[in-house]
Amino acid sequence: MENAIKNEIKNEWIYEQSPKEVWGYLTQAELVALWLMPNNIKPIQGHEFQFTTKPIPSLDLDGIFQCKVLELVPFQKLVYTWKGGRGDGIFTLDTIVEWTLEKHGKGTKLSLRQHGFKYSNFSIFTAMTGGWNANVQKMIHLLNANPNGNTNA
Amino acid sequence: MQTPMATQMLDAFQVIADPSRRQMMLLLSRENMTINALADNFEMSRPAVSKHIKIMYNAGFISITDIGRERYCTLKQDGFQELQNFIDYFDKFWVSKLKKLETILNNKSKEK
Repeated sequence: MENAIKNEIKNEWIYEQSPKEVWGYLTQAELVALWLMPNNIKPIQGHEFQFTTKPIPSLDLDGIFQCKVLELVPFQKLVYTWKGGRGDGIFTLDTIVEWTLEKHGKGTKLSLRQHGFKYSNFSIFTAMTGGWNANVQKMIHLLNANPNGNTNA
Repeated sequence: MQTPMATQMLDAFQVIADPSRRQMMLLLSRENMTINALADNFEMSRPAVSKHIKIMYNAGFISITDIGRERYCTLKQDGFQELQNFIDYFDKFWVSKLKKLETILNNKSKEK
């Protein structure tokens, strides 16, 4: 089992098309819908919009992602919030999506970072990386130190 | 599974949403502790501490072992795994979407 706890997602993708062309596919609702999801995004700072998809019951998501444009640098950078939940107004998914576009030859290097997963500022995740073995060791030590101990659990 | 514990079920996100529970898990990440020792770190009633422990236990964040007269709490990975599933899902989601964008862009270029 993997012990490393990731708290953000990073991806890079190279496209043959120019940053300007790729930018259109990130900011124009009908073009975004072609590859991502139906939406009503507008390239305007502060604009609030939604992505809609089928519900994802296994993750307790109702399929509507609430977003707000936080930062916008034409052809270079786009940042928006990406929140979701089961539809009761509580966001179990409360993240930020950052798109960065750079020239790559004649094409574009598109970088994606999704971060702010609610528990990412939860220091226990750092504390736990590699901490599982240590905890098991302590338990074994405790059990050995108490030879008369009953484990009724 | 101990039946007295089967009273309250919260999902992983609700479990870690509470600052006291986060603090308890942080303490447990440093060492296994008895319920009494854990309670000594908080200015809340013993029943309140027990309630938090019950919630963390039910959601798979901790296990409880009786050693002699004491009950020891240990962090357990199950609860955390549920949170990890969330990230893994979106990681795969974005890779498939970025690939789809590539296909769409390339098809469009050919049409020109």
